[in-house]
Parts: sequence; C-alpha cells; structure tokens
Amino acid sequence: MSTTFRSCFVPTGFILGYIAYLLLGALVFSAIERPVEETLKSDLSSLKAEFLNLSCVNATALETFLEKVLQANKYGVSVLENATLPTNWDLASALFFANTMVTTVGYGHSTPLSDEGKAFSIVYALIGVPFTMLVLTACVQRLMHPLTYGPISICQRRAGLQPRTASVVHFIVLLFLVVLGFFVVPALVFSTIEETWSFLDSFYFCFISLCTIGLGDFVPAEKPGQRLRALYKISVMVYLFVGLMVMFLVLRTFHKLADVHGWTAFFQLPSYEEEDEDREPIIEQEPDDESPEAEKASVKPLDPSSQVSYNSINR
Amino acid sequence: MAAPDLLDPKTATHNSKPRLSFSAQPVLLKSPDDFEPRVTVMRWKTVLSVFLLVVLYLIVGATVFKELEQPHETSQKLAILVEKLEFLEQHPCVNSSDLENLVKQVVSALRAGVNPSGYSSNQSSLWDLSNSFFFAGTVITTIGFGNISPHTEGGRIFCIIYALLGIPLFGFLLAGVGDQLGTIFGKAIAKVEGMIDKWNVSQTKIRVISTVLFILFGCLLFVTLPAIIFKHIEGWSALESIYFVVITLTTIGFGDFVAGEGERRQHEENSGSELEYLDYYKPLVWFWILIGLAYFAAVLSMIGDWFRVISKKTKEEVGEFRAHAAEWTANVSAEFKETRRRLSVDIYDRFQRAASIKRKLSAEINLSPPVNQQMTPGKRARSVNLGDEREVYPYTFVRNGSLFLNGLIPDYADHLDITKTQTK
Repeated sequence: MSTTFRSCFVPTGFILGYIAYLLLGALVFSAIERPVEETLKSDLSSLKAEFLNLSCVNATALETFLEKVLQANKYGVSVLENATLPTNWDLASALFFANTMVTTVGYGHSTPLSDEGKAFSIVYALIGVPFTMLVLTACVQRLMHPLTYGPISICQRRAGLQPRTASVVHFIVLLFLVVLGFFVVPALVFSTIEETWSFLDSFYFCFISLCTIGLGDFVPAEKPGQRLRALYKISVMVYLFVGLMVMFLVLRTFHKLADVHGWTAFFQLPSYEEEDEDREPIIEQEPDDESPEAEKASVKPLDPSSQVSYNSINR
Repeated sequence: MAAPDLLDPKTATHNSKPRLSFSAQPVLLKSPDDFEPRVTVMRWKTVLSVFLLVVLYLIVGATVFKELEQPHETSQKLAILVEKLEFLEQHPCVNSSDLENLVKQVVSALRAGVNPSGYSSNQSSLWDLSNSFFFAGTVITTIGFGNISPHTEGGRIFCIIYALLGIPLFGFLLAGVGDQLGTIFGKAIAKVEGMIDKWNVSQTKIRVISTVLFILFGCLLFVTLPAIIFKHIEGWSALESIYFVVITLTTIGFGDFVAGEGERRQHEENSGSELEYLDYYKPLVWFWILIGLAYFAAVLSMIGDWFRVISKKTKEEVGEFRAHAAEWTANVSAEFKETRRRLSVDIYDRFQRAASIKRKLSAEINLSPPVNQQMTPGKRARSVNLGDEREVYPYTFVRNGSLFLNGLIPDYADHLDITKTQTK
C-alpha cells in the first residue's frame, strides 16, 4: 500500500513542480516582453501616421514601410487598423509560450523581442527542457502499468494469447484509440472553433504540434476577437501536454513490442528496460567500470524512438 | 511456538528492502564479429549507411516539396506584384483604406511565405532545392522553424506522412551519431585519464573532471564556434547567435532567426536585400545541427540525470526515514512479543504443574496404583508431603473450578517453587 502511495506521490509532485515552473516562466516573460511590444506597436502607428501625411508616396518609402510591416508581423504584431489583436504577452499567452518552449514545440508566432527576453529564454530552455522530459518520463512510466502491462497480462490470461500476439493486439488497439482521441476528435473541435481552419488543417496542426515540430503556420487562439481566449489557450496547452505524454506512451509500447519480437536485438539497439522501483537488476547493463561518468552519459544508449525528445534519461 | 523471524528485529526490516529479481528478457545473441565491450553501440558502418539513407530521404522529400509548393508560390508572387504595381500607378495621394488593403495583402502574402519587399523580380524561391532540403531537415529533426511551411493541401498531407516516417529514422541516426561521438570522446578521456593516473587522483575526481571537460569542450565546439560564425556571416549580435544556437539545438526552433534565411539589418544602407551565401553554407549548417543535436541530447540527458539523482536522493532519504521508523516499530513490537511469550510460557508452565499435581492428588484420592508407580522419586516425596494437607487442598481445587487459576494462588505458588527446585 505504501509503494502505490509513493508511486502516486512522486509524479504528482513533479506535475505540481512543472506547473509552478511554467507559471514562473510566464510571469517573467510577461514582465519582460510586454513593454517592448508596446513600444513596437507605438512605433508602427507613428510610422503609419507619417506615411499618411506624405502627399506623394515613392517606391523606396513603400519598401521601407513594407519592411517594417514584415518585421512586425514576424513578431506577431499586426498593424491593421481594425484588428483588436490583444497583446501576445498577457498571462495566458505567456504561459502558452513557455509551454511551447519547454515541450520543444516552439511555434514561433510570438518570440522574445528584447535582449533580456532572449537571454532568459536560453537559460529557461536549458533547464526546462530536461525537466519536462523527466516529468513526462515519470508520468509515462506510471501510466505504463495500467495502460500497457495490465491489459497485456489480461489478454494473456483471459484470452490465452501468446505474449507476442497479445502485445501486437494491444498496440494496434492503443494506436487506434490514440489516433481517434488525440487527432481526429481535437481536429474536429479545432475546425469548429477556428473558422478559417478546415478539418485537414486542424489535423495537420494536431500532428505537427504533437510531434513537437511546431511549424507555427497554424496556432490556435490567435484570431482577433476570440472569445474566452485565456481559457482556450490553457485548454490547448493541457491538450498538448497530455497528447505529448500519450505519444511517449505509444513510443514506449512500441519499443516494448519491438523488444518482445526481437527487433531491437536485430538492429543492435538498446533493449526496453522496465523501470520498476522495487527491482534491481542483478546484471548491470553498463560498460566497463573504468569508463567515466561523462562518457557513460554521452554513450548511454540514446533510445531511438525517444531520441525525438531527449528521452535518453529514461534508463 | 511463535516463529523466530518475527521476534528478530533485523528480519522485520529486511522485508522492506528491494527484492532482487532476474531480468525477464530472453537472452539475446550477439553478432559474432562484435568485439566491442558494449553491445548497445552501433558500428560505424551501420551509422554511415543510416546517414546515407537519411540524406537520400531528405533529397526525396525536398524534391516532392518543391514540386508541390513552387507553383502555388509563383502564383502568389504574381498576385502581390500586380498589387504593388497597381498601387504605384495610382494617384500618389493615398488614403487610409487603400493603405489598409495593401497591408492586408502584405500580411496574407506573408502567410503564404512570400517576401513582398525587395526590388528584384526574380528573387530566389523559398522552395528551390536547397531550401526544400533545409525544410525537410527541420521537419524530421522536429525543430520546425516555420519560416517556410507548406500551404497546399497536398503539401500538408505529405508533410504528415513524411514526418511519421522521418522522425524515427532520424532518431536512429541520432542514436548512432551520439554513440560515435561518445566513443571518440571516451577514447580521448581514456588517454587523459592515463596521464592523470600517475598523479594518483581519486576516481570521483577524474569523473568530475571528465564531465566538466566534456561540457566545456562540447560547448566550445558546438555552441561558441558556430555562434561566432553565425554572428560574422548573418550579422546577428552575439546574444542573438547564441540564442539561435540554443533554440535550434534543443529543437524548439522558433524561426525568428534562421541561418541561411537572413536579410541585412535595417541600419545598413541597402535594406531588404538578401545575403549572398556560399553554396555549401546550408548543408554545412544542417550537418552542424545533426552533430550539435547529439551533443545537446547528451548534455540535456546529463542534466536530467542530475534531476533524477536529486529526486532519488530525496526519495532515499524519505525511504531511510521510513526504514528507521519501521525498524523502531519492529523493535517495539518484537519486545512486546517477547514479553508476551515469556508470560505465556510462564503461565503454560504453571498450568502444566498444576495439572500434574491435580493428577497426583486425584490419583491419591482414588488410590490408583498405576499413577503412583509412574511417579518419580521427587514426586513421591511431594505426594508424601501433600498427603498431610490432603483435606484442605481439595476444597480449594474444587471451589475455584479452574485448575489454571489454582496454580497462581500465592501460597500454593511458594510450594510450587520449592517443588520446582526439587524436580529440577
């Protein structure tokens, strides 16, 4: 009973720490970036006023103007008159930004403008990215028991299937459920809420986000005049985080599947290791003892399926 | 009697320690010509072949993207050019609505990925081969800058499928490159350790030194040097270069700074012109990204390890505390059990003696010879002694009813002690 309590306590503690870290980042970004954004906005409006005052417009002035518009748009600042686009750095948006940074999605629709913001981003990312990966790994390890080991053993016991077939069946079912629940349904929701997005666009957005590519051509809650913008952004954030966790789960299940079928041995890849706190492996899977810790860290089998997101802390 | 394990406090705490278990995996056969001590490191030939496969995959992807996206881009460029010409031909006196229209066009052109500013009409396409190669690279490394992105439906669908296959493929490659990097570094460290060994430094110090060396050397090679190169070629500030390096190598990839897509800054005279890059600049950047990613993966996993060690240490301390508490409670309960055991043994002894005395007395009352013959000399002596008091004690036996209690009558107990010493 105490071990289950402990194993629930640690990921909860991690999640709380993660949320606190995000809030900290959001507050700092908001405090740093908002004044700079205001300055840029006022500069643009004064430039516009200047342009309108000119009686004759020539090509070079136009080009300069366009250049400025380009720069501004790259940073997510719109110069259109009737666009009541709210600030990119209120708390919900900054939280969203911190989340995209720390999960390495990195849309780029809003980026730090000031030097301090950039310097802070560097430090924030260097600490936040491994921390997030640790949190996700811990959560996924806990989730593996009810979602993978449990069903597979039930399959084996009740249906009397071999381990190989049971794991294949389970993987297919899991994949189907994940695609349905984390791609199709959210795509439908997004295509309904965002009027300019088609179903394919929403599906494309979900896929690009959950693979942490994050191109940034589609970003939800960026429409001017969006109702309940903060709530929308935060729910998208939660969706991204949970979706990322589920992707990791699928990858780990696939790794276990590959291990059961002997594919990892065939490709000489590191095999799947069950992280169970109550068990210590008798045979250490380590190289010779003289190798320094740094080498061990750099040589440590970079799990191919998880290399996507530095999951090699998973040992 | 009670099991001896429970009374021993040591075994009570031993139950909370981790059980050792064999790994449940089947024994995997190693390939016969793998003489390396580590089974999990890929051979360099495998790495090379995977690398070539990835390059081929990228070229294929680049070609497909180019075919899908370039026509769309050309039509968009024509549209914006027409807009611009119309604007210039109009009366120079501009009103705000015209301006708004123009700006809207500019913004939508930007969303299509077209740069509407610039004098030359034959600008380089965003979707020529080298740019498409770069884009494909950003997709499979999951960096995803976003300065270029597919806008046709076909392009997007292909992007999804491409990423699904490409990301694991790149993961393989990254694992292999990381292994090779680690091997090279390990050999260098071994040489250095051989030199340091003569100074008789402790093992932990060596490890710490090698970790620090790894971080510093890697930072120099993969972060500082490229940052200087970018600063020089792209014209960014030092902070921006480092910012770009970090954001790229952690695969966040905002896209506000992209190597190879830069424009001259506005404080320079000919604003808006694109930089002239050497032909091999972009492939070199991609190659740097590959190795830098492997390095960063190692660094970030090391940071993650430190987090993990810290969390494990706190868990251990909590575990130790629990173990101490468990041991204390085990001690207390063991002592309690010991006391109970002694008491019960004591009571049991007295009960036995009372029962035997009762048998003797009842035997004497009934005058049954077999019982007398069974008696030891000590018992006979006792029965002789008790024969005088025969008339008194039977009453006490009968009155109390419980033989068990009779053994605890104080005055009778004194007699028992005397007889105990005699029988023993």
